[in-house]
Amino acid sequence: MSVIKLNVIDLEKTDYMGGKSSLCPGCGHDQVSNVIIQAAWENGIPPESIAKMSGIGCSSKTPAYFLGKSHGFNTVHGRMPSVSTGANLVNKDLSFIAVSGDGDTASIGIGQFIHAIRRNLNMVYIIENNGVYGLTKGQYSATVERGSKKKKGMPNEQPPIDLCAMAINLGCSFVARSFSGSKKQLTSLIRAAMSHKGMAIIDVISPCVTFSNNDESYRSYNYVKGNDEILHNVDYIPHYTPLAEVDIPEGKYDDIKMFDGSTLRLETVGSNHDPSDAVAALAAIHHATAKKKHVTGLLFFNPGIETTDEALGLTDTPLVDLSEEQLRPSAKSLELINQGFRSN
Amino acid sequence: MTRIINDFTLNIATANGTGSQSANLIILNSIFEMGVPVSGKNYFPSNISGLPTWYIIRVSDAGYQAPGNETNYRVIMNKDTWVDDIENAESGSVIIYNENVKLPIGRDDCTVFGMPMTKMARGINPKLSRLIANMYYVGALAHLLKIDENAILKAVTNQFAGKEKAIELNMRAIGEGREYAAENWLDEVGHQVEAREKDPNSFLIDGNEATALGSIYGGVNMLAWYPITPSSSLAEEVIRWLPKLRNGEDGGATCAVLQAEDELAAAGMVLGSNWAGGRGMTATSGPGISLMSEFIGLGYYAEIPGVFWDINRVGPSTGLPTRTQQGDLSMLYEASHGDTQHIVIIPGTVNECFEFGWKIFDVAERYQTPVFGFSDLDLGMNRWETSGFEYPSTKMDRGKVIRTQAQLDAIGNYGRYRDVDGDGICYRTLPGSGLEPILTRGSGRDEDGIYSEDPEDYVKHMARLKRKIDGARDELPAPIIREEENKQVGIIYYGSMENIIVEIDDMLESTGLSVSTCRVRALPYHSEVQQFIENHEQVIVLEINRDGQLFGILRKELPVNLLSKMYKVAYSDGLPPRAQIYSDLILKTMQKEVSV
Repeated sequence: MSVIKLNVIDLEKTDYMGGKSSLCPGCGHDQVSNVIIQAAWENGIPPESIAKMSGIGCSSKTPAYFLGKSHGFNTVHGRMPSVSTGANLVNKDLSFIAVSGDGDTASIGIGQFIHAIRRNLNMVYIIENNGVYGLTKGQYSATVERGSKKKKGMPNEQPPIDLCAMAINLGCSFVARSFSGSKKQLTSLIRAAMSHKGMAIIDVISPCVTFSNNDESYRSYNYVKGNDEILHNVDYIPHYTPLAEVDIPEGKYDDIKMFDGSTLRLETVGSNHDPSDAVAALAAIHHATAKKKHVTGLLFFNPGIETTDEALGLTDTPLVDLSEEQLRPSAKSLELINQGFRSN
Repeated sequence: MTRIINDFTLNIATANGTGSQSANLIILNSIFEMGVPVSGKNYFPSNISGLPTWYIIRVSDAGYQAPGNETNYRVIMNKDTWVDDIENAESGSVIIYNENVKLPIGRDDCTVFGMPMTKMARGINPKLSRLIANMYYVGALAHLLKIDENAILKAVTNQFAGKEKAIELNMRAIGEGREYAAENWLDEVGHQVEAREKDPNSFLIDGNEATALGSIYGGVNMLAWYPITPSSSLAEEVIRWLPKLRNGEDGGATCAVLQAEDELAAAGMVLGSNWAGGRGMTATSGPGISLMSEFIGLGYYAEIPGVFWDINRVGPSTGLPTRTQQGDLSMLYEASHGDTQHIVIIPGTVNECFEFGWKIFDVAERYQTPVFGFSDLDLGMNRWETSGFEYPSTKMDRGKVIRTQAQLDAIGNYGRYRDVDGDGICYRTLPGSGLEPILTRGSGRDEDGIYSEDPEDYVKHMARLKRKIDGARDELPAPIIREEENKQVGIIYYGSMENIIVEIDDMLESTGLSVSTCRVRALPYHSEVQQFIENHEQVIVLEINRDGQLFGILRKELPVNLLSKMYKVAYSDGLPPRAQIYSDLILKTMQKEVSV
């Protein structure tokens, strides 16, 4: 007889599952969905407290495939950040987990992406980045490297946009890059992002098995697997597990405290990367790019900056929970307004 | 010379950014203080400093609000428009000009009064002479029109509230202007002001401030906006009034206000906030609505409430950005791709700006759809008279939101898009509640909200949406109807055309044409609008645009047998409507009809 495993709030993993995926078999995005399910379950987040957000594209369809007990909003192309902003402002207690793609974020939605970062919107923003527009049959996106070639057609000649570099320059409070094929790293990073307060961006290289998984593509599974420059090994230790009970690594490591009390342990691989150093983070990206490699790990971490809702000085009660009495000033107040105008 | 009391139009020509707006408001407010019906219209440029601006004041015991057909007084201060301003003066009218602008007048057929305004202002304060010079024409007009001294003092005191030095300086300039005119201008003038008994309750306010106050009493808790003339002051008035009227128990804000990166984002924030159960709104103008239209379609199809105020300016494109028009109505009614139909609420007075300002949230949540408030630059930015705002007469209607498991159980067969009550309006649950969550989407879905491309699901969904919005017709603000007994000619109009309808009516009456009037206050139109059309032999749809946009909507939806008696009279030149233009066009249209 098998024992059903429960998380810290006594829910089964099935409580975090979603509908059946309609993406191509083997799609990297389905791996990310599985990791999101695992991460939310392991972190013990009540499903009803999560809002799943997305734009339009293959990646943006995935909220249907995870967290079936959470409300979600599959919005319009490139505009997910603004919808998330509106929902966050009236209900700051919701945990926003958003999925977008490279077309959705780096092209049509780049303005909203930038402004959501600038305001430090309190959300997890996962980009499933494959370098192509899948749903419209494989056109290049704005993140694909110069010289990279998809299965059919000419190599890409346009220079790419590096979303992580852009986010770091904008002062984003949490910037990471990972790979859908690196389950352990991705799980730790998504769990840490869920424990973070503020904008957490994870740019996940997620190969498109149908249009660009050929060897000439810099975003194919094999290419990324062979050219992944990891900054560090990442290990997530949840707030409910005492640090003292966790084995200490043999080599050097740094612990980063997350907002909810959990810890992200960064074990040094080769040279040490200090994620509080924006210049070092940008250097890591540029050095890897120059070698046609992908750097992965927690690039930049800048906690403690005000989130959008904090900066607005909102009352502590989420605005959706305010009563009619709190939302509608009294009849007396209107009488005073009228009197004030009359005496002017 | 015969004296004509409380019946004239005054045109003040200045340059933008010279402080003339303060002077103009002092004239307006002091006449208003004397209990005389008065209105002011600002014809301003899309510019901060230097371009020409005109302020038109209409004084009328009959209560006419729009600039009159004749201009009786002209104050000419701006050298750039000097020649045209003088040429435009009607024979027999009065010209008041700044002598220090050394340009010729050459109008022997007018009464011409000059004053060295800039030089006199320098005598008071050389640094501020450009601003103070305007106060000399205030003094001159106070003398000519016989504006009460105390009324002027009160207007100046309010204009520069708390700034004692400014009050003193400006009163001194006004006094000098008055004395100069009294000593030097000996010709008589015909048109003057005479005090009337002032309604102690009345005051002047612009529609944007009224709408802003209404929104606050409507419980707005998220305002996302992007600056655009002529809507910015609506958002800015919400921001200004909020801390005075509403704060949380901990002193925190009860409404989140965010200046968005563009109108697309503002619309997204409105939908996001309403999806989460808030009362989110935005204020914009036509160009903003164009950008928001993608989200408007999502809101319509996925059934998300939202409040969108359009303060109409002249389009298409950038158009005349500081001028007024009713050019967005058809866009609002059918914004976005595919088959759509949106509720539009149309105030015609500042009282309605306040009333619809709160009511619109109830409508949006009741019908779970984006709702437009439709105002324009004339109503939004010019000052109109009111005797005070009335407190909301009904409790908030939060619509069909399921908040507890018990409510959900009572429904039994819940589906986000299942019409259990038969009124086309389904129940919704909110994120955070854990009750029957779905992935809200703009793509096809079945009654449970599950993705579907099934033709039957699509047809059923679209038919229900049509039924839902149609069902709103008689629940929305009913038209204001005034019927003549003979029921020959009926005029349908809306919004800020209210400003001139009485004057149009009087003009038509003077030619022997009695008309009934029907002011439409919402779309889809109320059944009483159709009855009004049925009751009259000929019906004119009167609009401030080129093509007759409400006319087009009516023609699409009315029974075919009513169409042959419908006529459009549509005209727009960017300026606030003037009664004579529309009255002439109506008569021309009727004559054409008779001759055919």
